[in-house]
Amino acid sequence: MLEATTIRNGIIEANPALSRFSPLPRILCYDDFDYGINGWCELLGNHDGDLEKVRPVQADFRPPQISNCTFFDIGTHGAMNGNYALKLQTRPEPGHMALALKRLTSVKPGLVQLETYFAVKSEAWIGKRGEEIDGNIDPSLGDFGDFCISNDISNGDRRAHCCVRYVNCNAKGELVQKWQAKTSLQVTSKLEWSGSASRATDYHVRDPDDWQDIPDGQQALCYNELPTKINWHYLRWQFDTGTFRNVLLQVNNKVMHLEDVVVPEYERGFHQGLTNLMNLSVDVRTHSPVRNFIWFDSILTSVDW
Amino acid sequence: MLNRTHTAVFERGVEIAPEFVTEPYEVAWVDRGRWFVHVLEADPDTWLNLQTEMSPEGLTWCNHETSEGSFKAEGLISLKVEDPGPYTRLRLAVGDRTKRIKARIYLTMRQ
Repeated sequence: MLEATTIRNGIIEANPALSRFSPLPRILCYDDFDYGINGWCELLGNHDGDLEKVRPVQADFRPPQISNCTFFDIGTHGAMNGNYALKLQTRPEPGHMALALKRLTSVKPGLVQLETYFAVKSEAWIGKRGEEIDGNIDPSLGDFGDFCISNDISNGDRRAHCCVRYVNCNAKGELVQKWQAKTSLQVTSKLEWSGSASRATDYHVRDPDDWQDIPDGQQALCYNELPTKINWHYLRWQFDTGTFRNVLLQVNNKVMHLEDVVVPEYERGFHQGLTNLMNLSVDVRTHSPVRNFIWFDSILTSVDW
Repeated sequence: MLNRTHTAVFERGVEIAPEFVTEPYEVAWVDRGRWFVHVLEADPDTWLNLQTEMSPEGLTWCNHETSEGSFKAEGLISLKVEDPGPYTRLRLAVGDRTKRIKARIYLTMRQ
């Protein structure tokens, strides 16, 4: 007699949409962006109905787009599967971030896994750029800043934002191509309005330098020469709503174990009304006056509940 | 299945004095849409000109052939657009270039 797990794995492996993922026992969400944004909406900071009250760092994360990945030189690229992907797009302003999140709650403490196929690029241009292109390394590689995968989790007693950031270029424009984790709390509306923290300029941390390199976190993604070629990368990120830690990050062949990386937690009193909160977030940030993009072909979220 | 619909907030309190253009937005999937401009503040007797622009690649732009209009700058203004893509944006200009308005800008989309 076949075990239930064997049957389940067979069903997943026989399904072209799911066989490219390695889900935990329960699939919570399968977000195929051929069908819309699937709940990945723009984040806006807190307010009382007056949007002037929204803190600047959370006031302009831009609306997500359903993109067929169309470029001036080849026309439509299409997504990895189907025609459409979820796209986040910054303004062409140094430091600007675009962010989308999906709002969930957790049923009980445990492992949560987000898997996706993503691509990143900076905006193309038409005409001569005035910089040498050797046919392989394109100057637009230096136009792309960074992107993050993160969460906002609470069990009523504890609250944290687990977060991993891929830094292609740092704020100085240096090509660093590595993964980082945050070392300070995200400044929330309550922290700032209560005077417990000063105004933040990096949405994720108190001070823009509050990031540490993830051990063995150096990784060059497949940029592929031109801003109009997009190559889909596999990403698998695990966190634990019981330990409030990142657990694992895999991007293609690189696997990084993150259980030992401390995730800052809020003091009591800064997470009232957030019982079982489990928000998932993705963002992209430009370091230059060039729009940066991140596309998600699809996102699958699974849990061990 | 119900039609796919989506609403994006392009700006939440932008000043238009005398002109403003929204960020490019991908609408290849959209059959028709509607811009809404909520005028939050306006100098007296100000008129607002709206022109939908479109682009094949998000980099070069031309006017949409039918989606344009001139409106008294007060309350909620709506401008219909059909076949807006694959990229679209909205150009807003006050009629009297010495005047200003402050507005919230939405695009509602439907397939």
